[in-house]
Amino acid sequence: MLKPKQMSRLLIAASRDQMGPVVAELYRHNLFHIEEYVEGGAEGYEGFKIGSPLSGASEASVDLLKIRAIENAVSINGDDMDSAQACPRTELRSKIERELPVLEREVEELTQKRSKLDTKQKEFEQKIAEITPFVSIPVDLELYRGYTGFTVYAGYVTGEVTLSVPNEMHISKGKEKTFIVTVVPAGQRSEVERALQEAAFQSVPIPVESGAPQARIDYYTGQIAALSKEIADTNAKLDAVKQQHAGFLVACEEYLKAEVEQTEAPLRFATTKQTFIAEGWVPSDKVDEISAALTKVTGGKVYVTTLPTDLEHDAVPVEYNNPKFAQPAQMLMDIYSRPKYTEVDPTLMLAIVFPIFFGLIVGDVGYGLIFLALYFGLKKMMKGEDGQKLLTVFRNASISSIIFGLLFNEFLGFKFSQLVGWICGFAGAVNPIEHYESLMFSRHLLIGSTEAGGHGPAIPALMIMAIWIGILHISLGRGLGMYNHAKQDHGIHRIKAVVANFGWLAVMWGILIAIWSNVVMPYMFDLTGLPVIAAGFNLGTFIGGALILGGVICIAWDSVLEVIELPTIISHVLSYARLVAVGLSSVAIAMVVNYMAIGMFINPGMADLSLVGIVMIVVGLVIFLFGHTLNIALGLLGGGLHSIRLHYVEFFTKFYKGGGIRYVPFGMKRKFTEE
Amino acid sequence: MAVEAIAVATTDLASIQASQMGMKAIGAGLAVGLTGVGTGVAEMGIGAAAVGAIAENKDFFGLGLLFTVIPETIVIFGLVVGLLLLF
Repeated sequence: MLKPKQMSRLLIAASRDQMGPVVAELYRHNLFHIEEYVEGGAEGYEGFKIGSPLSGASEASVDLLKIRAIENAVSINGDDMDSAQACPRTELRSKIERELPVLEREVEELTQKRSKLDTKQKEFEQKIAEITPFVSIPVDLELYRGYTGFTVYAGYVTGEVTLSVPNEMHISKGKEKTFIVTVVPAGQRSEVERALQEAAFQSVPIPVESGAPQARIDYYTGQIAALSKEIADTNAKLDAVKQQHAGFLVACEEYLKAEVEQTEAPLRFATTKQTFIAEGWVPSDKVDEISAALTKVTGGKVYVTTLPTDLEHDAVPVEYNNPKFAQPAQMLMDIYSRPKYTEVDPTLMLAIVFPIFFGLIVGDVGYGLIFLALYFGLKKMMKGEDGQKLLTVFRNASISSIIFGLLFNEFLGFKFSQLVGWICGFAGAVNPIEHYESLMFSRHLLIGSTEAGGHGPAIPALMIMAIWIGILHISLGRGLGMYNHAKQDHGIHRIKAVVANFGWLAVMWGILIAIWSNVVMPYMFDLTGLPVIAAGFNLGTFIGGALILGGVICIAWDSVLEVIELPTIISHVLSYARLVAVGLSSVAIAMVVNYMAIGMFINPGMADLSLVGIVMIVVGLVIFLFGHTLNIALGLLGGGLHSIRLHYVEFFTKFYKGGGIRYVPFGMKRKFTEE
Repeated sequence: MAVEAIAVATTDLASIQASQMGMKAIGAGLAVGLTGVGTGVAEMGIGAAAVGAIAENKDFFGLGLLFTVIPETIVIFGLVVGLLLLF
């Protein structure tokens, strides 16, 4: 929690004939993050060379390439498929030898045929495009060619064109340009060309065809239709292949991928003629497990030891170590950057605070329920691991929206208590929450007749709440910043960095104390009652001033240039006002939609149930659905983006660097094959 | 006479107050609207460049987002001014 998993540096040394079993065992455990050996005479590695692949590497690679080509051709993706019945390895091996060449030939033939047909279709489409301008000219196409004494021009001009030489001209006027065809004596070409140039003539190639243009177009259209049918047939055949062999193909791919990765692993080891050494990282609590397994599989002919970790120079891979509910938020962390090994991992805070921010912004029972429904719908459709993680974050955010919706008493822009009252009215029961206003500050705006007599939103209170959230969030960030610097840096730089972070905190709280000492604000401390010391300013003002001054000095001690960043203290705190602003705008849209749909269309329509009335009701319903769909989309975008942005920009900049190396263990999670 | 004068004065006062409120509303609208335009113009270039950089290297996402939203400060100040004017 709050820290990446502890890693140990493992060194494995054995004689070369143990390489196969060691690699297979490491692969099976899927825990060993290989540190690649780079030739270059590192200390203690003189005379070592990069290893060569185990036997069977190139065959497996070739087969894998074939499989992937087939998968591409019939568009199969293992990520989108549910894990299937595991197939034993030996059976798969013999199946690959038997069936793969046949399947490859079949798919290749089909795809080649399809691409040939595609090319032909394009060709014909091109021909149609060439002939189309000539359709309006009542001349057969063969008459445009084959003259020695005449030249034929065809093309577009923008205005009128008159030629001074004897000619025959056909004109067909289009919307913007005029298409002309003209035949002139070959001897007077230069004059004609000049005249045409003045009319901004754009030449069009004359198609090499014979017969009436329309007839030719009809012919080609018929050809294209026939080709499309053939392409559809080919696609259907490919689809049949996909249906029949999809399971086999993904299993093969997985099997071969595992094979290739294992046979090529020695390329990442350091080897001599007789021995090899593999270095890498393993979670500290798994060291014993791995060592024992390796000893067992090699019959004791292996040397495994943990090396000391040098936090400053070693590139320790980072694996998250979070409680289960926080794990989906790791995806949001990876989008920004993975934490460094020595750094605080803020995933847990993100996992808790992100849904709260989202809920504060959306804060509507109705929208929350719709989001939840969306989550259940999308969960079935999305198969990838990242997508599932994102959806889980989305689910938490939806639940948070419902909770905040109850606190704000909102349902699709109505009051939730009103809705309950309406349902209870139907059921003949008493509304249990009739007098419930809201536990949080109200966000109900005074829009439309549905809200007549209400007392409007508590904007100042909401703003202060947002600012408090900002102050606390940023203070937490600065605190973590101090911790990170204390842990990561050394010497004078460490003290400076910690002091500078303290300086930022001091300036922020100094400003706050100075404000509180002079202005009374709701829901904030009132320090105006402190004794006046000098020049009409009270004690609080001086304490605040001292904090600001001291803070600025602390910041400047670390880096003078940082002082120009001081205004960001105010802008970052105020930035949290977006929690209220975006939420209010979403409430406003919902209420306007309700007013337009119900107040302006449905209610008048209900009052007069004639044809016009029914049309009005339908229009009202359309407005209602369209408006709320739009608002849902906006709420998702606004709620999600602004919440995550407050983390990335306002929170993380205070302490988080990121840039850690991803922990990629050697091995795979098998979906379609057995170990 | 006096009653009439008071009545005129109160209606005057009411209309003055109403027009003051209207002016405040216009001011708030201008504050948010113009700062929004300013932010948009400023983010235009940064955003385009950031998207280009992210297309080249996905690791740039965090930093790119950070740079892109820096001008948002402007519209937030506008929002605060608008809210201060209205409430």
